[in-house]
Amino acid sequence: MVVACVSSHLRRTGDGAKTFIILLCHLLRGLHTVIDKEQDSLISKNIQTHRRHWKNCCQWKFISQALLTFQTQILDYIMDHYLSKHFLTIFSSSTEERTLCRSSLELLLEAYFCGRVGRNNHYFISQLMCNYFFKCMACESGFEEVFDLVDDYFVELNVGVTGLPVSDSRIIAGLVLHRDFSVYCPADGDIRIVIVTETIQPLFSASASEFILNSEAQFQTSQFWIMEKTKAIVKHLQSQNVKLLLSSVKQPDLVTYYAGLNGISVVECLSPEEVSLIQRVMGLSPFILPQASSQYEICNTASVKFCKPLTLRSKRYVHLGLISTCSFVPHCIVLCGPVQGLVEQHEGALHGAFKMLRQLFKDLDLSYMIQTSDQNHTSSPLTYKDSRESNPLPEIVNGLIQRPYQGTVVKNKGNLAKTQTYLKVYSNLVVPSVELETCIPCSTPKVTPTDTYQTNETLRCLAPTKTRTIDDNEPFIESNSANSTAENTGIEISSENLQVTKIAGKGNMLPVREKSLEMCTSQSYCCSTLPAGCVLPVGGNFEILLHYYLLNYTRKCQQSEESVVSMIIANALLGIPQVLYKSKKGKYSFPQIYIRTLHALQTSQPIVSSQKGLESVAGKYQLLTSVLQCLTKILTIDLVINIRRQPREMYDQDSDEEV
Amino acid sequence: MSRLEAKKPSLCKSEPLTSEKVRATLCVLKGILTSSYGPSGRLKQVHNGLGGCVCTTSQSSALLSNLPVTHPILKILTTSTKNHVSCFSDCGLFTAILCCNLIENVQRTGLTPTTVIKLNQHLLRLCTNYLKSESCGCRIPVDFSSPQTLLCLVRSIVTSKPACMLTREETDHISALVLKAFLLTIPENTKDRLILGKSIIVPLKGHRVLDSTVFPGILIEVSEVQLMKILPIKKSNAFKVALFCASLSGDLSDTGEGTMVVSSGVSLENAVLEQLLNLGRQLVSDHVDLVMCQKVLHPSLKQFLSMHQVIAIDRVGVALMEPLSKVTGTQPIGSLGSISPSSYGSVKDLCPAKFGFKHFLHLIPNEATICSLLLCNRNDTAWDELKLTCQTALHVLQLTIKEPCVLLGGGCTETHLAAYIRHKISNRRTSAGKNHQLQVPAGKDVHCLSYKKWSIPAPQPMTSCHQPELLWFFSNGLLFKTILLDFLLLQKITLLCFVCWTCLWFC
Repeated sequence: MVVACVSSHLRRTGDGAKTFIILLCHLLRGLHTVIDKEQDSLISKNIQTHRRHWKNCCQWKFISQALLTFQTQILDYIMDHYLSKHFLTIFSSSTEERTLCRSSLELLLEAYFCGRVGRNNHYFISQLMCNYFFKCMACESGFEEVFDLVDDYFVELNVGVTGLPVSDSRIIAGLVLHRDFSVYCPADGDIRIVIVTETIQPLFSASASEFILNSEAQFQTSQFWIMEKTKAIVKHLQSQNVKLLLSSVKQPDLVTYYAGLNGISVVECLSPEEVSLIQRVMGLSPFILPQASSQYEICNTASVKFCKPLTLRSKRYVHLGLISTCSFVPHCIVLCGPVQGLVEQHEGALHGAFKMLRQLFKDLDLSYMIQTSDQNHTSSPLTYKDSRESNPLPEIVNGLIQRPYQGTVVKNKGNLAKTQTYLKVYSNLVVPSVELETCIPCSTPKVTPTDTYQTNETLRCLAPTKTRTIDDNEPFIESNSANSTAENTGIEISSENLQVTKIAGKGNMLPVREKSLEMCTSQSYCCSTLPAGCVLPVGGNFEILLHYYLLNYTRKCQQSEESVVSMIIANALLGIPQVLYKSKKGKYSFPQIYIRTLHALQTSQPIVSSQKGLESVAGKYQLLTSVLQCLTKILTIDLVINIRRQPREMYDQDSDEEV
Repeated sequence: MSRLEAKKPSLCKSEPLTSEKVRATLCVLKGILTSSYGPSGRLKQVHNGLGGCVCTTSQSSALLSNLPVTHPILKILTTSTKNHVSCFSDCGLFTAILCCNLIENVQRTGLTPTTVIKLNQHLLRLCTNYLKSESCGCRIPVDFSSPQTLLCLVRSIVTSKPACMLTREETDHISALVLKAFLLTIPENTKDRLILGKSIIVPLKGHRVLDSTVFPGILIEVSEVQLMKILPIKKSNAFKVALFCASLSGDLSDTGEGTMVVSSGVSLENAVLEQLLNLGRQLVSDHVDLVMCQKVLHPSLKQFLSMHQVIAIDRVGVALMEPLSKVTGTQPIGSLGSISPSSYGSVKDLCPAKFGFKHFLHLIPNEATICSLLLCNRNDTAWDELKLTCQTALHVLQLTIKEPCVLLGGGCTETHLAAYIRHKISNRRTSAGKNHQLQVPAGKDVHCLSYKKWSIPAPQPMTSCHQPELLWFFSNGLLFKTILLDFLLLQKITLLCFVCWTCLWFC
């Protein structure tokens, strides 16, 4: 069952199978220790109240329910409120349209391929993938479509070649069909193609009909008619300047003969996936044979740039230069390798990478419950946080909600105008991608902890459209200890943080409005969105951060089972960086890293990561939810019954009865 | 029902290369391969205990495809060698031996796999850069104006396959034939792209090797009876040819998914036959001299055609269809209806030929890049080996067009390259100190092969003037290999090792 869960997770996200298992093990181990302790001593006050639940035999089920609640409520809440301010983004500019930053993408891919492709080829493959992606992307905005398409039709878009070194792998413009021409007639100029899904040659009888022959002459004339009809269709195709016939079925000899005579190349037996790929890329629908009339217009044609045979290691393929109508510019990857197994491994890794990116570039919806009935309770996490930072906030005003905002600028009332100009300056800057890396450490000391600002929710409700830009909000400026340095921080805030803000602001626009409305009516349901393209540095950063915030959450949490579950998960999460840094020594050993990160968090400095690679936040989030789902499933089972045969499916019985 | 097999638990092994069993099997494989390498290699006879056909060979492709290899690491090694051979035809044994040596020697050094991967990559780059560079001492450009270099190249391939059982004289003869066959496939006037033709190898077993010949055009094997019927062939300056890919046997074509109801008294066979005869009439009236069909001709149609002095040949087979349509310039006809005149082609001459006990019809084209290589050898196994050899040689010659450079053979290149690496590394060691010390043992290992292979002492760093002295131990004179083959090969080998080592690393 675990394997099934892992593979279904992998199919969706293409990443994190090993982390899945490790996390699951740690979780189970953590649960065991908790329960043992519970049974031995029964000292924990929180747990004691629930003793009767735990003592009866459905205690596991109880835990699993607690896990589910955690997954649906606490996790999303923490992701949105605390973690999101640490996220970096993969886009390189803060302007309206998001441009993809190449170097960040490279870092992301390198980190991804690190464990999947042999060390000698790992850099080469990630470069290949990066090139491929940028070649396929027609415009900046259409990358979601590109990912969807490449992921769906990955098999059709790559060609494996064995017997050549991996370094011979390359990218070819156009589409390579995995078969040879049945008839090839060299053609250039305006080449038009049609797709057919049935044989062009009419048959004697269609299915479920009878063809009655009364004489030999009738047979001959009908054969003659078929021949003439085929000839006429092919002639007509030729008159429409059709030079290539793509067929999903095998055409009779007669058709290929006439096609050859008329200078039409034929490719037969296309797979349904190939047909649908061509349809999607070119917006071309199959050509349906007219039944009656002989004069008709063929509207379903499309032109291609070229159409030629391609020989890769003695195998011949059809190479088409499709002209794309969508944002995907067709390219194919030719993957070489000495053995089939290695080629397959690389194919798998590339496919996984596309899945991972596809996930990354989707907005992640978070929804969670907040108990707004009790106001102290609502704000408790925030107040708690602030008090920890020894930076007491002004009391929370009724009807006002205070929201932490990702990496937002700290502003002082007096410096408001000034900071805003900085904002503008930064937002107009297209930051070079290299800066992205260097900016993070340099902006460290001055950015103040309370990257939060209070917004008058009532105001927002009145003018919800204005929430879009920061300038239109009327921020309540915190009076904090950083007042004196506020002016400086305005300058030194890294452009990185700013980008995040902008994008987050945009992404959050709708949910924020929703939320505010709900808040006004004192409702408790809340949803928010993680913007697409969030990344974190690799090396267990996500886990350590989540661990830290979960612990904080537990400390002020009243509900016992929640806190227990959060504890378990927080500790299990720590197991992953522990494994990662196992082999490292000295400065980079796990305790060192952990202490440094915690210290940075407590003093609210940005975390400096020793590693350059990046990983997707969405992927991590998905992973965590999948693990929790799997754990829930495992915990609900109390007995495994071994049987000889496969369990019978329900419909089997039905069919048996029918027979 | 599929056979049921007890499910085995999956097996996990760490560091597979270090296990004693793997080392032993690798050693055995290496022994097999090294003993069959080179002109003086020993032959291997592959057969199973139950009888059946026996394969006597020293070629990697035959050897590796017949060896039952079970261990995954050896499987990787053999399959990648096979893949290499299917790409480049030559140097399979070299690849496999070098790979075995690399693995063995690397294990002896005790370096960590990751270091080995890096070192191999570095050394590989060193080798390929040197072999590609102009300063490479063992590289010779191919001169297409004289046959000497090309002939040497072919000779080196033919002599390195001792299982062909050729004498000196026969070797010369076969090499010349192969070169001639290759030259016949090059079109005379090319436009922008060079499209090579094809040499068809026609078997004739049980004859002297010296009887082998090359013809331009195609030899179609026909039975003696058939040939008697055809003869005498009337003389004309060009023969009109029709080539059918559709069956002319008179069977019904596809009638669709529905049912067909035929009234009693109606004979569809007759109807189809009538149609075939109509076709025959059209062929005759179009003055076609030769009708060939990929599939079967109806006997009545055959009879009809021979009555009108039209030569009819059926069951040509799909393999010959493409060369035939190229030689004759026809378009294979797929219809039984009216034939468009543009589908007909022609040949310059048509003559019967008899070689040994076989009768052939020889199609002589006006101008085409197809030739037939009639290959004779004494027995079946020797013939098979000779055929493989000729195919290899033809492929290597084709590759020289892509990359017109060859390397000195007979271990020259390998020794030279080893010396080069040694030289490079000793330079770096003196200059860079301990950082590069690691590279020295690996550097040696890569090229231990060449010393071992030819059992000569490891040479001192040498200059090009030393080279001729190294050649004395070859009775056959210079051996050549294409540079293309060699450096791709090296790349390949290193790659291979990487594969093995990465397996190890991941385990």
